[in-house]
Amino acid sequence: MSSWILLPVFLPVLSGICLLAASFRMHLAQVRGETGSGFLMWALDRKKLHTFVMAILGITAVLALAAAWTGEHSVTLFYLMKDVPVYFHIDGIGRLFVSIVTLVWVLAGLYSLAYMEHEGEETGYFGFYLIVYGVLVALDFSGNLVTMYFFYELMTICSVPLVLHNGSREARMAALKYLFYSMCGAYLGLFGIFFLYKYCGTLAFTAGGSLNLSLMQGNEGILLIAVFCMLIGFGAKAGMFPLHAWLPAAHPVAPSPASAVLSGIIVKSGVLAVVRVVYYIVGAEFLRGTWVQNAWLVLTLLTVFMGSMMAYREPVMKKRLAYSTVSQVSYIMFGLALLSPDGMTGALLHTVFHAVIKSALFLTAGVFLYMGGRTRVDQLRGIGKEMPVTIWCYTIVSLGLIGIPPMSGFISKWYLASGALNSGTGVFEWFGPAVLLVSALLTAGYLLPVTLNGFFPGEDFDVAEVVKKEPPRVMLVPLVIFAALTVILGVMPNGLIGYIGQIVSALV
Amino acid sequence: MQFVQNLPFISIIVALFSGSLSSIIGGRKARWINIGMISLVTAMSVAVLVYVLGTGESYVYMMGHFPAPWGNEIRIGVLEGTMAVFFCVVMLLCMIGGSREQFAEIEEGKLNLYYIMVNLLLCSLLALIYTNDLFTAYVFVEINTISACGLIMIKQNGRTIVAATRYMIMSLLGSGMLLLGICFLYDLTGHLLMSNIKEQVHILDQSGQYHIPLLVAVGLMSVGLAIKSALFPFHSWLPDAYGYSTVSSAAILSSLVSKGYIFLLVKIFYRVIGFDVIMESKVINVLFVFGIAGMIMGSVSAIKESNIRRMIAFSSVAQIGYIYMGFGLGTEAGVIASLYHIFSHASAKSLLFLSASGITDASGDSTDFFDLTGAGYRNKLAGVAFTAGSLSMVGFPMFSGFISKILFAQAAVEDTWQLLPTMIALAISTILNAVYFLKTVIRLYTPEKPKVLKKKNYKTIHAADNPAKSVALVCLVVLNLVFGLCSEPIVRAIQQGLDMFA
Repeated sequence: MSSWILLPVFLPVLSGICLLAASFRMHLAQVRGETGSGFLMWALDRKKLHTFVMAILGITAVLALAAAWTGEHSVTLFYLMKDVPVYFHIDGIGRLFVSIVTLVWVLAGLYSLAYMEHEGEETGYFGFYLIVYGVLVALDFSGNLVTMYFFYELMTICSVPLVLHNGSREARMAALKYLFYSMCGAYLGLFGIFFLYKYCGTLAFTAGGSLNLSLMQGNEGILLIAVFCMLIGFGAKAGMFPLHAWLPAAHPVAPSPASAVLSGIIVKSGVLAVVRVVYYIVGAEFLRGTWVQNAWLVLTLLTVFMGSMMAYREPVMKKRLAYSTVSQVSYIMFGLALLSPDGMTGALLHTVFHAVIKSALFLTAGVFLYMGGRTRVDQLRGIGKEMPVTIWCYTIVSLGLIGIPPMSGFISKWYLASGALNSGTGVFEWFGPAVLLVSALLTAGYLLPVTLNGFFPGEDFDVAEVVKKEPPRVMLVPLVIFAALTVILGVMPNGLIGYIGQIVSALV
Repeated sequence: MQFVQNLPFISIIVALFSGSLSSIIGGRKARWINIGMISLVTAMSVAVLVYVLGTGESYVYMMGHFPAPWGNEIRIGVLEGTMAVFFCVVMLLCMIGGSREQFAEIEEGKLNLYYIMVNLLLCSLLALIYTNDLFTAYVFVEINTISACGLIMIKQNGRTIVAATRYMIMSLLGSGMLLLGICFLYDLTGHLLMSNIKEQVHILDQSGQYHIPLLVAVGLMSVGLAIKSALFPFHSWLPDAYGYSTVSSAAILSSLVSKGYIFLLVKIFYRVIGFDVIMESKVINVLFVFGIAGMIMGSVSAIKESNIRRMIAFSSVAQIGYIYMGFGLGTEAGVIASLYHIFSHASAKSLLFLSASGITDASGDSTDFFDLTGAGYRNKLAGVAFTAGSLSMVGFPMFSGFISKILFAQAAVEDTWQLLPTMIALAISTILNAVYFLKTVIRLYTPEKPKVLKKKNYKTIHAADNPAKSVALVCLVVLNLVFGLCSEPIVRAIQQGLDMFA
């Protein structure tokens, strides 16, 4: 029996629900104007709350990694409908995603301990934070399309409160926007699932696709439309044009560690869904050379360029990073759209690297907010004198995102470019790399000014006034780890490339 | 003949006589009779369902001593049994959940009238489910209409009286069309028992005689029942009727009364005319078009509405549209999806009405959208229940609405020309649903500013303050989860029941 692999799903979800109950009681106590007692006081005590959250995160992380890396487990939980089980199966790509999720979730959780003090309502925040973690683990472990959709929707709903956290009008509108775009996207995806249900032998993920060729005969046209709908739909989570507009609205209003996981991880579940649909259900072969591939490539390149341009023009730090996510995740989508081994390798590598880097960037933006409430880029002059370690970390990961060796982003972009050149997609062979290059320049243009103005504030800046003050250690440590990972993965990528190569060879 | 075979007949009679009994006793005692009767009928329906599932085939019960072409009959299969059990359970929960409102909103002297109406309503619903005779069905349709009118206007204020009048006019129009249809059929076939009519219709269809009169009869009956179940654009009576009547009336009307007519329509399709003949006629295409229009227009009206009760009522228009769209697909899968949606909509809608009343109680009895800010904190259970109901309506996985959407879409994929309109309508309507339901849920959980809090007539309500309603809410949430998580036995029962119909 390998049903224990569901422990890392249920443990955080249940403990998250406990925290929510506590937070609910707190609200009630406030409404009634009484002081709480017992369990309530326990949850109000920040130290105990922090120990609890970190313990659950730690145990779940260990369990999730153990489940992922101890062989191919499969569990059928129950039958949702006839022939449609809720089924979990751990395969190569799920393993990869679970590992990234766990890494980012634990580190951002650590960071939240200090950061959330300044946002307030910690109990509720950590409640949802744990629940989303459990749901994401389940999402990565899902073994068929319906199970994946199930947890995909659950993830959307459970992550809305993270955006909604401060309860302001802006946050409410952003949350509604997020919900609306996600729903639109998810339902486009769901309609695709209905079609595939008819034409696929099984909705369980099969490397190389499970289309039933005899059933499909003569219905290619409608199937292509269905797949395109799914690409647009699941692409909404990944911030792909035309359903990208929620991202720059939702990320900035969320508390910074929440934006970090939104941008680093939740956006990637859109990527995972697309990988599952394209490579595990319909198969790359079916799409190669069709109008769907071309349209997909056009959309991704458009998004890459547009995201970078918007980021370049954006003065608010977190919004700038959100636009940057729009652009960078479409790098990944571009790699997937190439339908070639190198492109796919590049895409998966960039998934890992971008998760690490963008989380670090949002956490840095959080530091600026936490230490003096600075939201705009032009308020950051001289910040390098104030918190040199933070800014060094920021610079390292920025270089990684731009793609300068020896940082990790270089490796993935190299694979993406070489994948495009050898993909046999006609005009995209050279047009794709050109767009990526322009976008890399823009990336440098919107990330590096912070470093430059931070360390070299100019003649008229009074350096003597600056007090050197790094953020608290729990906030700094995750940043340093992320920065170190960016360098280490860039210098020694062979293990990761080998592992991803294994996954890819079975698919394309 | 086994004793258990008598139970459908006994349950109809028990419901009827409990109505008569209530007329001579006081309101509070009448309530106990009502609750006891529904529980008893529930138990009997369960016994019948178990029996039918056990034998695996339907049986015909002769009323009186006259055999088939002359006497009256009732007929029980798996689908009828399931429907009866479900209707009883939902009605029981609605009556229990709204009991405090019944005492508060209905005049003391009229209280027993209310319970008479409810008893008669259950009686007529059971008869509609079980009967094998078209004219008996018509008689109970009328009883159903009258008692539903009573349920609407028992809470006396201007709007309910207007609503009841409107309902009366629309409903009688529908009944008239149904009656005309039945007359035509009687004229054509010479029978009133469903099975006999079907044989004759089959012969007529084979020979090609009386093609147009038959078509007219089918059209009249379908449209008549569609009007009675508030298919768009015949829904003008609905928002006021559901929005201002007492809460258990609203819940029962939206989740059961309209569904009773729809179930009768399914019976007419399968047992009177024959599914093939129906499919050949173009009547279902008309239902399809109006169903789709209803799905979208109902949701649009709901979005524009700022009164939460009326918003839920307009959502019913959309959901009825779903059901007719399923019929309009013209496949068995479509009918199965529609029947499943009867279950899923009834459980979600009664949950929504009951929880909405809990929410408005905590907000100074205001139904205005903006007064509901933070109500989820003031009445925890109602807030959670409303959220669950909303998610179910939106079609969130784990809840019943998701399964019915999957079934609709699967049914649509099988087909040819209805495919695109169905998919597009499903998509648009789902998103519109999400807009107004989730907007409300977010409003419920947005904390109200402390300044406003004192000014308004808010109060905090605990689950223990109104145990009856709390129990009903919890049961309905569980019902929604059951329909969402283990749909398979229910879909199989529907399938089995439809096979028995043919």
